[in-house]
Parts: sequence; C-alpha cells; structure tokens
Amino acid sequence: MIVCVAVVGHQNNPLYIQSFTEEDDALKLHHIVHCSLDVVDERVNNPKKSGPTLNETFLGLLYPTENYKVYGYLTNTKVKFILVTTDLDVRDADVRNFFRRFHAAYVDAVSNPFHVPGKKITSKTFAERVSTIVKSFGLSSAG
Amino acid sequence: MGREVSESCVDGLLTEMVSTYCNRFYANKPELAARRIEAIGYQVGHQLSERYTMERPRFSDHLEAIKFICKDFWSELFKKQIDNLKTNHRGTFVLQDNRFRWLSRISVDPSLENGEAQDPSAVAESKAAQATSMHLYFPCGIIRGALSNLGIPCAVSADISNLPACSFVVRIKA
Repeated sequence: MIVCVAVVGHQNNPLYIQSFTEEDDALKLHHIVHCSLDVVDERVNNPKKSGPTLNETFLGLLYPTENYKVYGYLTNTKVKFILVTTDLDVRDADVRNFFRRFHAAYVDAVSNPFHVPGKKITSKTFAERVSTIVKSFGLSSAG
Repeated sequence: MGREVSESCVDGLLTEMVSTYCNRFYANKPELAARRIEAIGYQVGHQLSERYTMERPRFSDHLEAIKFICKDFWSELFKKQIDNLKTNHRGTFVLQDNRFRWLSRISVDPSLENGEAQDPSAVAESKAAQATSMHLYFPCGIIRGALSNLGIPCAVSADISNLPACSFVVRIKA
C-alpha cells in the first residue's frame, strides 16, 4: 500500500506531497522523503556503480527502512518523484508503471498556464489523478 | 492525448500577440514589448520541454540537450528538424532552420523591389527587418525556456539575414 508520494523540484523544494494513511504520521513521512533526496543526489552523482543505468529516469529502490520502501524517479528537468510504500513484495514493473502515469499527470499539471514554476502544485485535478493512480497501484497485476 | 487546434489558429494567435504587444501595450517601447514576448516564450518553452522529455533518459551533456532541441523538440513544434547545427565548442551554438515555419508567411514590402533611391528603400528595409524580428522573440524565448528547464542557462538571439532561413544563436552562460 502506498503511504506517500512527493514531487520535489530541482532545488529540492517540495512541489507536492501527499500521504495516504489515516494515521497522523505526516511528519515522519515528510522526514523520510527529505532523507531520500540525499540518496537521489548520491545515485546521480556517483556514476561508478551505475553503469548502463546512469541516465535512466527510474532510480529504483532508494533505501528500505524498517517499515517502508522508498522508490525514486528523476526527470530530465531535475524534478524528483518519491514513492513511499509499505508493501513487502513490490514488482519493479508496477513501480515503473506507477511513475510513468505519475509523470504524465505531473506534466499536465505543470502545463497549466496558471501554475507558477517553483511553487506548489495546487491543482485539484492533479490530486484526483494521483489518488486514482495510487489506488490502482498493484491491483492491475494480472500475473 | 489532448484536444488539438488547427495550425492557422496558432499562427493567428502569434501574429496578434506580437501586434498587440508592439502596437497597444508597449506602443513606443519596442524593447519592453520584446522582453515581454520573450518572457511569454520562456514560460511556454519551460512547459513544453517538461512534456517532450517525458519518455526519454536524461541527457549527459549540453550537446545532447542541444541535439534534442534540434531534432525532437523542433519536430514537435514545427514538424521538421533543424537543418544545420554549428558550434564553436566554447558554448555557442547556431541552429539554422532553412524555412522557419512562423516566418513563412511574412511578406516582403513590394516597395523594396523598385530600388528607386537608395535611402528610402534602406529605411523601409530596416523597418521590415524590425517588424520581422519582433516575431522572433517568441521562438527565442521558447528555446531559452526549454534549455533552462534542462539545466542549461543561456541567451538566445535570432538572425534573419537571409529569409526564409532563420538562425538562432544560443550562448550558454558559463
């Protein structure tokens, strides 16, 4: 189950952060997202072990904590998407699929002429699309 | 995808935008009008680059980003690629389009064809050149916005010494 998604701009400024649990753990999730930004920077700036996946957008599992797994995705415009999930067995294909749809929703939200680049995304349509994508995460695995 | 509009609508919008900014909003201040139009282009380029780099892996250096602008980005915008790319390998790139779509319908003033006296035709020619150059601030802004979003701050200017070919000079800030 996904507990949190976040969009972070290229200056590590938060553009959108949404948690999907009923508990009051928003602060802890924000903290996890913040820590994962360092891991993203390290992955991108250390090409020695990346090899062929150096320029891929999907960064994969960033780091597992005791309860959560954190996945990262870095776009060409240096915008980072962070996904925090409590699932124990998450398929790579599912996460990639999630990020692809999330990226499409993000691009549509940013193309809004009333959106100011660098400020938070306030579009309700974006929020609805994100919660739809989150709900269908892992459910469409027919295998 | 989304809904589409006809190209003539976009042409009409761009023509009207330049005309409004030059003749109504900033009537006697062409530099301010130019800056405003370029700023609009900057935001458009910023958003378009977000959309057109969606499915691609990240660029490893400036040259790849410029090549993306020349090929995929230009194809999405103008249905053709940049015809010629030159660089001095020190941060300056010249992108040449031999038939720039947004200038293809600009007419040349027929009084220039007569060549009666040198002075009036030279004045008329520079006025035509100035009118044409106002239409180029928008695409310059688009290129600058797209490159800035890819992490490459730059300055973009246009050169129309031989219409309908148009060259965009990109100078990357160090």
